[in-house]
Amino acid sequence: MNLNSEIILKTQLLAKHVMLEDKQLTLLQDINLAVSTGETIAIVGSSGSGKTTLLSILAGLDLPSYGEVYLKNKPLHQLNEEQRSQVRADHVGFIFQQFLLISSLTALENVMLPAELANDDNAKQQALDLLAQVGLSERANHFPAQLSGGEQQRVAIARAFITKPDILFADEPTGNLDKYTSTHIADLLFDLNKQFGTTLVLVTHDLILAQRCQRRVEMQGGRLINKQHLDHTKSEQLNTDTKIIQAENV
Amino acid sequence: MSFFMANWVKQSIRLLKHELKRGELTIIVLAIALGVASVFSLAGFSGKIKQALLNESTSFIAADRVLQTSRKIALQDNITQPIALSRDAITHKSQQLNINQAQQVLMSSMVFAGDVMALVEIQAISSSYPLRGELLVNYSINANELTAANAPELGTVFIEEKLLSLLEVAIGDVIDIGESSFVIKAVAKQIPDASFSVFTSGVKVIINIADLDKTQLVQPGSRLTYKYLFSGDVDAIKALTAWLEPKLNDSQRWFDIQSKQSPLANALNKAEKYLSLASLLGIILAAVAVSVASRRYAQRHQSSVGVYKAMGASLSHIRKLYYLHWSLLSVFSITLGLLVGYILAQLGFYAIQDYLPVQLTMNSVNNSNFSGLITLGFYPLIMAVFTGLLCALAFAITPLQELIATSPLVVIRGVNLKPSNQKFRDRVGQFLIPLLALLLLLFVFSSDLMLSVSLLIGGVIVSTLLLVFGRLLMRLSRNIGSKAGASWHLALANLQRRAHANSVQLVSFTIAIKLLLMIIVLRGALLNEWQAQLPEQTPNVFLVNIAQSQVDHVEQFIEQQSIIASDIYAVIRGRLTAINSDKIAKEVSKEQTDGSDNGRKGVGRELNLTWREDLPKENNVVQGKWWQNDLIDANKPQVSIEQTLAKRLDIKLGDSLTFQLGSEVITVDVSSIREVNWQSMQPNFYMIFNPQVLADYPASYISSLYVSADKKVQLQNFLSAYPTISVIDVDVMIAQLRKVIEQVSKAVEFILVLVVFAGCLVLVAQVQASMEEREREIAILRTIGAKGALLRNSILLEFVALGAIAGLMASVAMELTVYLLQSYLFKMQTSFHFEYWLLGIVAGASFVGVVGLLSCWRLLNMSSVTLIRRTM
Ligand SMILES: Nc1ncnc2c1ncn2[C@@H]1O[C@H](COP(=O)(O)OP(=O)(O)OP(=O)(O)O)[C@@H](O)[C@H]1O
Ligand SMILES: [Mg+2]
Repeated sequence: MNLNSEIILKTQLLAKHVMLEDKQLTLLQDINLAVSTGETIAIVGSSGSGKTTLLSILAGLDLPSYGEVYLKNKPLHQLNEEQRSQVRADHVGFIFQQFLLISSLTALENVMLPAELANDDNAKQQALDLLAQVGLSERANHFPAQLSGGEQQRVAIARAFITKPDILFADEPTGNLDKYTSTHIADLLFDLNKQFGTTLVLVTHDLILAQRCQRRVEMQGGRLINKQHLDHTKSEQLNTDTKIIQAENV
Repeated sequence: MSFFMANWVKQSIRLLKHELKRGELTIIVLAIALGVASVFSLAGFSGKIKQALLNESTSFIAADRVLQTSRKIALQDNITQPIALSRDAITHKSQQLNINQAQQVLMSSMVFAGDVMALVEIQAISSSYPLRGELLVNYSINANELTAANAPELGTVFIEEKLLSLLEVAIGDVIDIGESSFVIKAVAKQIPDASFSVFTSGVKVIINIADLDKTQLVQPGSRLTYKYLFSGDVDAIKALTAWLEPKLNDSQRWFDIQSKQSPLANALNKAEKYLSLASLLGIILAAVAVSVASRRYAQRHQSSVGVYKAMGASLSHIRKLYYLHWSLLSVFSITLGLLVGYILAQLGFYAIQDYLPVQLTMNSVNNSNFSGLITLGFYPLIMAVFTGLLCALAFAITPLQELIATSPLVVIRGVNLKPSNQKFRDRVGQFLIPLLALLLLLFVFSSDLMLSVSLLIGGVIVSTLLLVFGRLLMRLSRNIGSKAGASWHLALANLQRRAHANSVQLVSFTIAIKLLLMIIVLRGALLNEWQAQLPEQTPNVFLVNIAQSQVDHVEQFIEQQSIIASDIYAVIRGRLTAINSDKIAKEVSKEQTDGSDNGRKGVGRELNLTWREDLPKENNVVQGKWWQNDLIDANKPQVSIEQTLAKRLDIKLGDSLTFQLGSEVITVDVSSIREVNWQSMQPNFYMIFNPQVLADYPASYISSLYVSADKKVQLQNFLSAYPTISVIDVDVMIAQLRKVIEQVSKAVEFILVLVVFAGCLVLVAQVQASMEEREREIAILRTIGAKGALLRNSILLEFVALGAIAGLMASVAMELTVYLLQSYLFKMQTSFHFEYWLLGIVAGASFVGVVGLLSCWRLLNMSSVTLIRRTM
């Protein structure tokens, strides 16, 4: 591999097509992106522009139809599901908009899970430490259904950091939370980013969150546009639109 | 690596523990446990009942099996003239198989008490008689105490009570039989294998078989019946049968209680079929519940597997985790099932203990460990565990595999309910594995491949039809619903919108309700049939040998006492000598007809003939016409013949039969063939002539009466004036029959309860399975402002509608199945059950409605915010 070791994530001419009733639909096109180690980057864009699609390919959950994607110099586009799983286990952390905690495991067990998968023999202590860090020591033995949305997301953050991932992907990590809690969650994310040097790739409609990132890129109709400044009102508008659309899409 | 292993084991156990505690696995555990419990308790408990019933009923032949012959079987193989079967060989084989033996010899003879004599039937028995049932005797006529006895001591006899008055003797007196004298030791009150036959059963005198030679009654040419009795466990008897049957000659008959045409054998056969059918259906229901519940389980776990995979868990990790999880779950459920099954069997056994024959508690031959708790045995255990494993694995394997193959993309795109790129082969496999498993289960239980395959194919066809029909009905109901109120509208629109999911749901509702209805309806039909066999006022007394001159008196008596009685039939003895112009005297030899029950004894030698104007009750003309309907030919000599005899002698409609009545010969044409209910307690005849033929012949008369206990004295007084009239009292026999039938009914009810429980479980599992989807829907409806009451009503109505549709379809399907089962499996009269349609629809609607509403209750009472957060 002849890639810059500073670059943790890199794509080349990435494209994603899906077939819908004999018609080819292009979800992503010509995506060229490079993210350096330790960088924080926000992917923004209107609803349906392809942010989530891109994220799932960057994280190796999905495969591109065309182009290349390297994570820690590993060619994800050439790896099969099992191999990509291994890459995720070794390098990747996740935070989802829907939190996606396992409902039949306690908060503590949810946080321990990735560490256990990576055969970390100190999973429990690390999980307790992380739960303390997100302020949920007392809730360690509670099940997700007993926690509020914000608390669940904090558990998810603790879970994402337990393996000290090289890179963390977050799709709308604050999408379901109120403003105050969003700020708190964002603080946590950036604190942990500083503490562990984790690269952050965030998809968000939250303007404040986006602005705390070192770099912002915008998706438009499946293409990427570099952008340093965002129009406040437009972003707010988008945010509410999306919510309505989501509500109808459930 | 070992540490890695420890990890998935740990995770697996943790998952199981939490999920069990949180009640997520209740339905699956219950379904598997129920399957196991029903098999364990049924195989164990109903096996016990069957054994007990058989023990009880085998007392009707005093053994499990009887070898009957008119010629004594030689003791030893004669070296110069080898024979197929010797008594030594039989004894040897029986001992080898641990089978008990007894012998008896039956013959007619005169007995004398001074100058008085009577024709009796001598029953010479060996000391081990009876092998089954009890010979009850009364040693003193004053004491009412019955004692179980074996053969009388040498030189003594047991006699039937009637003989005391016939011979004018008392207990302790001496009577002469042949060349020997005997002391009357006791009165025989119940003889286990007393014949049902009305015509031939003379008064019995029981002697010890060792005394037989002393009487010198056995002479060359005397008519004797030898019975060799055997009892032992089922397998041993089977082995003996296999060994013995090929060696039998034409004059030797080998039979058990089931091969005798008695009401009892009939009831037993049907009960056995019903019990195994019901257990099969119970197991199918449990399997359906497992498969429904495991599908839901897989759906519920999809996002978890997605998360695991997103976190980088390898496929093998997840596979091991879930397989172990499922195995632990199975082991837990099976253990629970065994425990519950054991308790159920004990409870069931306790509940029916009073109905079980005393024998089971006293007879120590087969049930030596019978004390308080029953042991269920090894076979039921194996069967139960096997069922549990098959249910847990075969019916859950497809959902599990799909679950494990979940794409990690579900964490992004949400739960995908159907794997998108499914190959045709996989789809087929999806259905094939459970179907094959089901077939295996059915086969193992019924050991009847035809029955299993037809049940299965029938099931698949019915399910497919139901699927199509259910969709049609839902579409129809939507049209109706559009004209109804808001709740109905919403409810039926929902039904229609989720047509696919609902039609699957509908099919399992329907199958559950159908199987339940079927079991209930069949039970009712069987009980009715059994009751009809022995209605309240079944004749319990036969009057035989009524002289022509006494007929009026008997009729008067019957009328005076308002006793229920059959008609009085003339009996004229006659011999069939020719069919058309063929002499057939030899063909109807004694060997072929002797020994068969229910009045057919002696058919070969002399037939009991009668004449009638009208067709008797319980008789049906199956070919030809009864003369009354045919005025032109009414005066022609005609006979109506019973169908089995007609078949045996190959007699066709229009054949002419020649009879010899004393010195006269008559020839008549066969004008009808009749079906006769031999089980009715009334005089039945093979040959019935039209009045023109026989009315002028001298005859004796016979009638059957129902004499209630309070009228017995009057009967006795009346009969004392007519000593020549013989009385045959069958009360004891009827009481015994009633008892057996009551036991069978209890067993049937016990199984019904289990099957109903299994059916309910399917319904609950199916309602629960649709909850996740509903949850999302309710959230949406709440957000767009639907009121709680509207939602509640619409959900209630949706379930009610589903239940009612399922109930309706189930009723139709049940009707068809029951019709087929009745005509092919049970060979009983078919019946229609529209009253159960209502039950099916109402029960379906209310049960599904209530369970649905209860399951939704939690959702309905959540605030919209909670709901939305849960479901987003
Ligand atoms: N498997 C698929 N088949 C068809 N269309 C798809 C598929 N996956 C995504 N899409 C479409 O691709 C487009 C991009 O979707 P994506 O979820 O990436 O948008 P997004 O930018 O994340 O939007 P949002 O801000 O609303 O989350 C959408 O129009 C979506 O409907
Ligand atoms: Mg998105």
